[in-house]
Amino acid sequence: MRSRQWLAVLPAVGALSLGVAACGSSSSSDNSTSGGGGSSVSATLNGAGSTFAAPIYQQFGSELKDKGLTINYQSVGSGAGVAQFTAGTVDFGASDPALEDTEVTAAKKKGDPVHFPVAFGAITVSYNLDGVKSGLKLDGKTIANIYLGKVTTWNDPEIASQNPGIKLPSSKITVVHRSDESGTTKGFTGFLQAYNPEWKSKVGSDKTVKWPTGTGAKGNEGVAAAVKQTSGSIGYVEQAYALQNNFTTADVKNKSGKYVAPSLESTSAAGEGITVPSDLRFSVVDSPAPAAYPISSQTFVLVYKDLCKAGMSQSKAEGMVSFLNYIYGDGQKILVQLSYAPLPGAIATKAKAQIAQEQCNGSPIAAS
Amino acid sequence: MAAASVSTRSDDRLGFGRSSLSRLPDKALRWGLTVLAAAILLLILFFFIRLYIESRPVFSKFGVFGFTFDNNWDVSHSIYGALPLLVGTLITAATALIIGVPVAIAAALFVTELCPGRLRPPLTIMIDLLAAVPSVVYGLWGVFVLIPRLKPAEQWFTDTFHFIPFIGGAAVAGPNYFIGGLILAIMIVPIVSAISREVIATVPADHKEAALALGATRWEMIRMAVLPYSRAGITGAAMLGLGRAIGETIAVTLVVGNAPTIGKHLFDQGYTLAAVIANEFGEAANNPTHRAALIAAGLVLFVLTLVINAAARYFVVRGSRGRRIGASDAATAGAAAGLGG
Amino acid sequence: MSAVPATTAFAPISGARRRKDQFMRGLLAAGTIVALIPLVLVIYYLLKRGLGAISWHFLSSDPTGNFLGDPGGIKSAIFGTIEMVALASVIAIPVGVGVALYLTEYGKDSRFASAVRYFVDVMTGVPSIVFGLFIYITLILSGNVGTFAGWKGSIALALLMLPIVTRSAEVVLLLVPDHLREAALALGAPRWRVVSRVVLPTALPGLVTGSLLAIARAAGETAPLLFTAAIVNGTTFNLGDRMNSLPLQIFTDVGQAQDRLVARAWGAALTLVMLILLLTLIARFVSRRSRLT
Repeated sequence: MRSRQWLAVLPAVGALSLGVAACGSSSSSDNSTSGGGGSSVSATLNGAGSTFAAPIYQQFGSELKDKGLTINYQSVGSGAGVAQFTAGTVDFGASDPALEDTEVTAAKKKGDPVHFPVAFGAITVSYNLDGVKSGLKLDGKTIANIYLGKVTTWNDPEIASQNPGIKLPSSKITVVHRSDESGTTKGFTGFLQAYNPEWKSKVGSDKTVKWPTGTGAKGNEGVAAAVKQTSGSIGYVEQAYALQNNFTTADVKNKSGKYVAPSLESTSAAGEGITVPSDLRFSVVDSPAPAAYPISSQTFVLVYKDLCKAGMSQSKAEGMVSFLNYIYGDGQKILVQLSYAPLPGAIATKAKAQIAQEQCNGSPIAAS
Repeated sequence: MAAASVSTRSDDRLGFGRSSLSRLPDKALRWGLTVLAAAILLLILFFFIRLYIESRPVFSKFGVFGFTFDNNWDVSHSIYGALPLLVGTLITAATALIIGVPVAIAAALFVTELCPGRLRPPLTIMIDLLAAVPSVVYGLWGVFVLIPRLKPAEQWFTDTFHFIPFIGGAAVAGPNYFIGGLILAIMIVPIVSAISREVIATVPADHKEAALALGATRWEMIRMAVLPYSRAGITGAAMLGLGRAIGETIAVTLVVGNAPTIGKHLFDQGYTLAAVIANEFGEAANNPTHRAALIAAGLVLFVLTLVINAAARYFVVRGSRGRRIGASDAATAGAAAGLGG
Repeated sequence: MSAVPATTAFAPISGARRRKDQFMRGLLAAGTIVALIPLVLVIYYLLKRGLGAISWHFLSSDPTGNFLGDPGGIKSAIFGTIEMVALASVIAIPVGVGVALYLTEYGKDSRFASAVRYFVDVMTGVPSIVFGLFIYITLILSGNVGTFAGWKGSIALALLMLPIVTRSAEVVLLLVPDHLREAALALGAPRWRVVSRVVLPTALPGLVTGSLLAIARAAGETAPLLFTAAIVNGTTFNLGDRMNSLPLQIFTDVGQAQDRLVARAWGAALTLVMLILLLTLIARFVSRRSRLT
């Protein structure tokens, strides 16, 4: 009878899909090709965090796929990255600012967190203004006043005085900021509070602040999208996003008084002259170097010192070490392609030395 | 006849001599299904209890009223007052109702009373298709089509009516309460319309014919015979739409602006309870108070939709008195059950 | 019988009333058109911006995550959606139909059955994000139960589908005429046989319709998957891994600035809508063949 066959089909389909699910293998490839500098380890690593550095990890993931390492990266913001790292739902976290002391204490429940700096990037002040090219000169005080809602039109005297000769429209400024917990926000507000006391007292600097005005967007991607779609808007995005979308960016006044445009050189320059503690929890925001772009930021990969105790298997731990080696090896070349500045030699050496200290249940991990 | 004395107990067979072993599958089926139903009940209770327990830390810190009615959602300082979210939810939902319900009722009336018979099935299908579009697709369309296209019109509107408080005199931001409400209106039209249609169809034909026989025009017949009779049911339909609008997450979070303040104008950015959960859950993974705050927001949402849906059901049942629900309602029930996204 | 006075019963309709009637008719027609405009616009833009993005490469390659260069397609999203929804259906449909069977065959109007019915109705009102949150709390954050996984997303979807399946199944099962049941019982069939040989086959098209609509609903849901399945680039057939899905892929791509990624969002949206339309059309076709309507 037809209905009988119907009744048999449904559970069969169900069983079939369960079978497919159960017997399926995961997507990590079993055969790893040996290429130059490639690892012979095959593993899947899950990471989450900084949208500032998302292009880096996503590009790394694409490069490493043929070499056996699958990197799944969720671009959810430094705050969520730190939260997931601490909760243990990812293998590595990605955060632009180093962990604060309270965050270190929270993370210690699973083990000792280790900071691996990856690159420097520039937080551009991008704007979408018809007829105004790149290079609008702004200083920290003005940018803060824009974000405070005190400077509301583009032809405000505060902006015009720094830009004689540029015809500024009288349209309103649409401010775009982050709606999620963001390392980029922390870097940006860290810069703002150094130059605007009202900002410092009213808003402060953190991964998320109480924004006096403006639209909230999710991730660097979201801010970039909002700036792109809204005429007359201003937003802070990492340089890679600004370049990809052909944004016009502002020249920002640095600590030495020069107006500097965001570029690979000025971002690298930010790494000069900063103090680097032994646990590598440093910050390059508002760097004192004369050629530095002032709103530069570093970005870290966070892992635990004892990977296996934190929940990884032996093979995954080896994959992690392999990934870290890649970051300080061939990975640094990818950074330049993406317009992030590679690490200065001294910091890179210190970071590489940390890799050797990674352990699996107390014993060191074979580097590959 | 044996039939007259056959007992109505399902697994009792008089006069057919079945062994207790052969009655085992019957017992197994009965108890299996009963356990299943009881398990569902327990699951829902567990759901509610778990949500409540997880949200306790924030209630103990701020109090139930403090959490719900304080106007300060400040994650950086760990202060969680959900009033901006609540207000945002209500503003978008109210906008959705004001725009969506009249349109839905008009469509329902047109389809059942006024349109030619041949047009009825295609129109019905098309209105129901609005419910088939996933909310993320509405969000996508809202961000890239609605927001840029409507911005000039919104600016014109607020400039022209600058003397009306709340509506006039605003600087239109891209995403705002209004666009959120508009998208919600589009999403609730199919549900409100489907249920209104069912309710209007229960109006006894003799009421309508009596009005027509007395010389009423079509519209007068609708006004005198159909609307009063189906008022309760339509109210219920509108409330179900409200419930849907309150719980909708994804489409709203893409177009409402995500600003945790109470906007002064309809065209300001805002935030809703559902959107805040979607946006902030990832960061709350390790912060117990923040997590509790988001779960509490979910609980408030849950309780709100519960109350509204209970009231809605009461109205709909009152409005469809006496009519047995037909099989086509399997499809309607599916559509009507569509909530949230 | 006395003649009806012509003056009172058949007075011509005044111009004002007729105008009002025309006006209101026009208004109601306009309302209907207004209701349908968004549908037309959504489909128009989906086709306009999405068709161009769809190609064999688009459907057969995974998202690469490349910031520069080829962003890839949506293969993992399509497979992920199919896998997760399939598992969710395998859980929700039998359970939903089972509960509905209980309510119609055994519980009927008892207090317990009314309570179950009421709470299932309550479940339909829960916003889907709350389901996702619930699964996140119970299955991911608590203790060492682990990380994001496809099956956890499936459970969240199953919770969403359950009340829909139960409600529509109960409606359909109630329509099976009692005399069919009684005839089978009178012929000596045990209860379980009545259910499996008489009730279920008769109700089957209606059950299939309701299930397909629930499946279509689940395929389009984003919120339950936000906290449970996560987004991943690679295709995987292991439900214990993180899994991509079409709604999540669209949601992520919407917030991007790059035109290529936005184009991918439109293409994925078109794919998803076509998938759902297909399921809805099949459901309607099946329901038309039902003996019960």
